[in-house]
Amino acid sequence: MFQSPLTVITLLAWRGLKQHAFSSFVAAFTISMAGGLFLSTWKIKEEAQKAFVNSSGGFDGVLGARGSKLQLILNALFHLEASPGNLSWEQYELIRDNKGVKEAYPIAVGDNYHGYRLVGTLPELFHKHEWKKDRKYQVQGNGRIFSENAKEALVGNFAARKLNFSIGSKFHPYHGLDFDENKRHADTYVVVGILEPTGTPADKVIWVPIKGIQQMEGHDPAAAQSVSAVLLALRGAAGFQLDMKYNKQGNQATLAWPVAATLASFFDRLSWFEDVLSLVALFVALVGALIIFATLRTVMNEKKREYAILRCLGASRLVVTCVVLAQSLLLSLTGALGAFLAYGGIGFTAAYLVREQTGVVMDPLSLDLGYLVFFPIVLALGFVSGLIPAMQAYRSSLSDNLSPRS
Amino acid sequence: MKSTNMSFLEVKCLRKRFPSPDGGDTLVVDVESFSLKSGAHCAMKGESGSGKTTFLHLVAGILAPDEGEIILDGFEVSQLSESSRDRLRAHTIGYVFQSFNLLQGFTCQENVLLAMSFSGQADRMRAKKLLERVGLSQRMDYYPRQLSVGQQQRVALARALANRPKLVLADEPTGSLDPKNARKALQLLEELCLENNSALLLVSHEEKVIESFENQCKWEAINQAPGFTAEE
Repeated sequence: MFQSPLTVITLLAWRGLKQHAFSSFVAAFTISMAGGLFLSTWKIKEEAQKAFVNSSGGFDGVLGARGSKLQLILNALFHLEASPGNLSWEQYELIRDNKGVKEAYPIAVGDNYHGYRLVGTLPELFHKHEWKKDRKYQVQGNGRIFSENAKEALVGNFAARKLNFSIGSKFHPYHGLDFDENKRHADTYVVVGILEPTGTPADKVIWVPIKGIQQMEGHDPAAAQSVSAVLLALRGAAGFQLDMKYNKQGNQATLAWPVAATLASFFDRLSWFEDVLSLVALFVALVGALIIFATLRTVMNEKKREYAILRCLGASRLVVTCVVLAQSLLLSLTGALGAFLAYGGIGFTAAYLVREQTGVVMDPLSLDLGYLVFFPIVLALGFVSGLIPAMQAYRSSLSDNLSPRS
Repeated sequence: MKSTNMSFLEVKCLRKRFPSPDGGDTLVVDVESFSLKSGAHCAMKGESGSGKTTFLHLVAGILAPDEGEIILDGFEVSQLSESSRDRLRAHTIGYVFQSFNLLQGFTCQENVLLAMSFSGQADRMRAKKLLERVGLSQRMDYYPRQLSVGQQQRVALARALANRPKLVLADEPTGSLDPKNARKALQLLEELCLENNSALLLVSHEEKVIESFENQCKWEAINQAPGFTAEE
């Protein structure tokens, strides 16, 4: 350990910081918080956007009532927000038969069970549709997909766990998208299958036959021939033609297409919030740098005599300067590692909340080249904060700190 | 630049002034001539505040003289660059301070090893042997604050001898010790210097300390500085 100058410098730096453990901890902790906040603002938004786009369930677009594309996507694919209105069954059949449409599945919403939405659709969605490339929905164990004309339910994995549902469980749906115990429907549904987890919002849904929703006791009989939206998988460039037909020339329905672009516009709207958080992170980082600077100044002032003794033992000015710089690097390195821990904590909490609220699974720890940039930036910040104390150490007069003037 | 000289340490016309509070200069060191042969031991007595420490700092290259020459091991100290003086201190000089100046964050053994590391010859075995030699074999991993004053001074002696220096400068080495420990420390210092064939220049204001050395001199006889003020 005492053989190489590098290890001697590291040892001197480390022991110096250890002797000022509290100030060193505060400096590293501040850097950790600033770094964690910065990483969170940057990565969580990015990961959330990626997770939402990847959770669109293998659909290219959604056809729904005239209104907001974003609301349509959030309602039909992510099972959030209210439905903007209904389409007629004929409109569904019309788009289903369009040559550019590969798959079309009508959905009907409007009921829930303890806050988990019931979504009515056709059993073909689970037989034919690939929610991800080469991945179809799988039913666990002895379960099966519901029959078109029965009061049966196929429950998403997350919802089944939360509701303690198993095959054979029976339940009464409640009217509306939010749970109200006074709005219980008389119909009784039986769980016939539980889906394998997909990490998409489908996990949070209780899937039932569309006729079940349309003809539920208490629903408006006029709604029996309408659907809330149609989920679409398209062929080639059909999206452009349909966009022209429904959005630019027509006024009966809205085609939300492409899904990724609509979601991106949603996240872009949140960019001001990201800017504010980045600004906060920047200020915290500056405070962290100032604390490193103040800590090293304190260490420097208290250790002037010790550095002079080292010089007296034969240590060069460069060694003493490097000790101060190594201390700033050690503080910022610890801060950078702490930043990843802080980010991990914030990221996992955010991922948990997003999963609970939407069923979308995001991976806050996915590898990113940006991490390689983040690390040197934090180290550079620490290096810069250590420069002035290091220069002080370099210029410090050996005789002034050792010799009595007599 | 190395010059040839008979003595290991040769001081000529050395002068050092410090600014005085009245705005003028006070001449603190004015040594016309002083020399020390290789391996020789010399104890120098002088009053407190008379410039002895300044003289040692000039010899060690810690301070730069205003005038004069200090030739140490053939090198003119004041002509050396700062880094060359660092190297000279690391390889040639061992320094014993009155207040020991041990590094508090390091154990006894680490204090000795650190001194060795700056001359590029860290040797754990030698550090252990030195500490055993000064009677601290059971205290190697103790921190200075865990040692008595006498034990701390013995660590300081081991550290000063760590690099087998050709010259040991001892500045009031017994100033913080009681008479019994002071006697032991002086005896040990002399023995260690003899074993390493190191020259020793010791300064002290205590008569008893100087008496134990064969080769004695009075600082006031060497230093002609008119401006020095002796403290009581």
